[in-house]
Amino acid sequence: MSAATQYYIATILVYIAVNAIASWGLDLQFGVTGVLNFAFILFQAAGAYTTAMLSLGPASGNGGFQRYLVGVHLPFPLPILGAMLVGAALSAVVGLITLRRLRSDYQAMVMLVVSVVATVVAESVLGLANGSAGLSLIPNPAEGLAGLARQAQTWVFVGICAVCMLVVGLLMYALVYSPYGRVLRGTRENEPAIEAMGRNATRARMQVFVLGGALGALSGALLAEFIGAWAPSDWLYPETFVFFTAVIVGGRGSVSGVAVGSALVCVGVQQAVQYLPIGGDPTVLASLEWIITGLLTMLFLWVRPQGLLPERRRRFPAAERVLAPGDVGGAVEVDA
Amino acid sequence: MAVFLSALGFGVVTAAILAISAVGFTLQFSVTNVFNLSFGSVMTISGFVAYWLNSAGLGIWPAMAVAAIAGGALSLAINELLYEPFIRHGVNLFGMVIVTISVGLICDHALQAIVGPSFFSYEAPAGKAFHFADFVLTGQELAIIGIAVALTVLVQAALQYTRLGKAMRGLSVNPSLARACGVPTRRVIALAWFVSGVLAGIGGVALFLDISTFTATTGSEFLIVIIAAAVLGGIGSPRGAVLGALVVGIVTEVGAAYWNPELKDVLAFSVLIVVLLVRPQGLFSQLATERAVAR
Amino acid sequence: MSASDSTAALVLDSVSAGYGGHEVVRGVSLSLHPGRIECVVGPNGAGKSTLLRAITGDAQFLGGRIWLGGSDISRMAGNRLVRRGLAWVPQLDDVFTTLTVRENLELGGFLLPRRRVAARVDELLDLFPLLRSLTSRIAGRLSGGERKLLAIARALMPSPTALLLDEPTAGLSPEMTGLVLEGQLPRLSESGVAVLLVEQRAIEAIEISARVHVMVSGEIRVSRPAAEVRDWDELARLFLGEG
Repeated sequence: MSAATQYYIATILVYIAVNAIASWGLDLQFGVTGVLNFAFILFQAAGAYTTAMLSLGPASGNGGFQRYLVGVHLPFPLPILGAMLVGAALSAVVGLITLRRLRSDYQAMVMLVVSVVATVVAESVLGLANGSAGLSLIPNPAEGLAGLARQAQTWVFVGICAVCMLVVGLLMYALVYSPYGRVLRGTRENEPAIEAMGRNATRARMQVFVLGGALGALSGALLAEFIGAWAPSDWLYPETFVFFTAVIVGGRGSVSGVAVGSALVCVGVQQAVQYLPIGGDPTVLASLEWIITGLLTMLFLWVRPQGLLPERRRRFPAAERVLAPGDVGGAVEVDA
Repeated sequence: MAVFLSALGFGVVTAAILAISAVGFTLQFSVTNVFNLSFGSVMTISGFVAYWLNSAGLGIWPAMAVAAIAGGALSLAINELLYEPFIRHGVNLFGMVIVTISVGLICDHALQAIVGPSFFSYEAPAGKAFHFADFVLTGQELAIIGIAVALTVLVQAALQYTRLGKAMRGLSVNPSLARACGVPTRRVIALAWFVSGVLAGIGGVALFLDISTFTATTGSEFLIVIIAAAVLGGIGSPRGAVLGALVVGIVTEVGAAYWNPELKDVLAFSVLIVVLLVRPQGLFSQLATERAVAR
Repeated sequence: MSASDSTAALVLDSVSAGYGGHEVVRGVSLSLHPGRIECVVGPNGAGKSTLLRAITGDAQFLGGRIWLGGSDISRMAGNRLVRRGLAWVPQLDDVFTTLTVRENLELGGFLLPRRRVAARVDELLDLFPLLRSLTSRIAGRLSGGERKLLAIARALMPSPTALLLDEPTAGLSPEMTGLVLEGQLPRLSESGVAVLLVEQRAIEAIEISARVHVMVSGEIRVSRPAAEVRDWDELARLFLGEG
């Protein structure tokens, strides 16, 4: 296999892992618990920036061509762990503002606003993370490995991503199908019933918000290390929508479904448009990706709102529908 | 003082554009309960309709009038062909938010695929400058302010005093009782979408005139500021939307003059967040509770 | 009782209705006459409200016929029923809470010719004097009793031939119940409207009704002139279906 082919395959694999982790993070919030986090991409960005700042040396290095905070040159895996902590902390702050008192449609709108504000701040405050140019030369942890060829290093990084995906996937299975997972789904479907059972729905939302934020940050950390660069144009607010599509296509609340959905939507659509006979105009290709993503979302909400691999569970019909008629929503669970 | 007054002048113009758009956004929301995130795309497409007519030699004001009708027709068509069927299909409030985002993205990017990523501007003279003490407004800006005042007063008066306006307000709080009064609810909902689209069209052209260059995504980017104004005033209340537009418009421009101009939107959004923390339902809203999608 | 009963304002002919295919009301027949109040009483869950919803098109219609002034209105949509002369007051959500009292009445007259509206509002304020001093009050700020009177007045705006009231005294104080049932309703029927009253408070409802229908488990067990059922023992036996 040529070096170019190997690199192409490695890239696809990294993207599949990174997007699965991010989509799972959003699925915990939106799919399982019903929180419409329209600022999700912000937490991926927070992870990417944090990793960059923790793994890069002082800003004066490399001739001081980029400005940023921190710069402490920490070894792997500290920057990634730091990123997750920051993602969780930022989620806690945003969650405290939005989740406690606001109507849920206001929550969604305020998160949209928060996402936009964050991009504007990152672009305008140069000293934070080098403004709209963004950060580059972000170290890849595998590049430090002595005695390994460039290609082998790439595969080591693929391995790191695969391990992360595996761990997060197992965590998701353990969480979603546990009694705690039932509380989360109850929060989505029948909040009064959950409150009547003595569980605090707002606290459940806060918890998944923070956990999902940490997962978003983990995905951002890996992505930034792989690409080696991160800028505000990578996390404009509509990007969040791609993850929503992945969750809807795959199946809300379904761990395997969301992994499949994210591979199809976040990686597959982008690859597919490259092979369409419409020329190589990058604007048209990017536009087409968005159009396909939008159409896919509407198609699934209409035809198969439960997604490709629906959430599995025993249920009997109850109060209120959550997303759409064929959706698994509107069911109260019994212990299987 | 001079800086403040000129910033205030800019602020009033921004507020005028925001008010037209926010009233359109909130009016439709109050009647149908659909959070319509494709509103910005209707603004942009109407703005481009005006651009094409303007390029073909039509004056900007007649072009704006045509764009208003185009916006109304587009908004109505999107509701009848997409949103209404989805609601009838049983998709709920949150599902509808996602549907409207999808429609917005599809519209924006279809337009972008056609017109490309470049910047556009109208051929329209800014008009004579008028001095009011220290603040200077062009004829064009005065016209925008005049249109905003006329439209918001008109909408408010129609809601307050006409039979159809009362039916619209009644429908927004109690759809089944409105039916029990003989109100043809589907037609009133269609009217709300049309009026909302007309206001989006006028707001879009006014926005593009004011910021002088625009792209296929300008409307959707501005939508966030519109939402901030509408939510600040209390979503669903046209009076609140005007108030929210004034606060957001003036705070952003005065902030831009005294602080970092790039961060002016941050200031407006911070005001929004602080207000919501103190008064979660917004400044003006009577609806503090959630409702289902109106059918 | 059938459509041939030409003096009746509203005729129900073996109406069955329910939700999601599940039958809650089974084969109910009754007819309503101009200027008379008839009441449907019965224990909780007997299907009284579902019966009204079947008439207004809000419950699933599963069989039978409904005639209004001689024309078949079975399965007709709500806003068309109003044009035919039917009006109803739901138990909850009975007014437009963000509109003023006057605006509520005006919206009730949505189908009237424009120039008739103001005069009709005035007529109803004469009929409901309590509302006259409250015309500019927001309906959401009225007391329970005032609110119910407004809801009834609103329903009367288009001068309906038949009026359906779903538990108008639910949640009202005894004093207000008296005002609505004894004070207001008998005067309405004097104006010629046929009233179908669904009530929990059976004794009070029977007091003002011409005819009583006792509904148990989705069926009308007994229908008889109200004068014949004016004591508790009699009523208790009817509720238990021994009548």
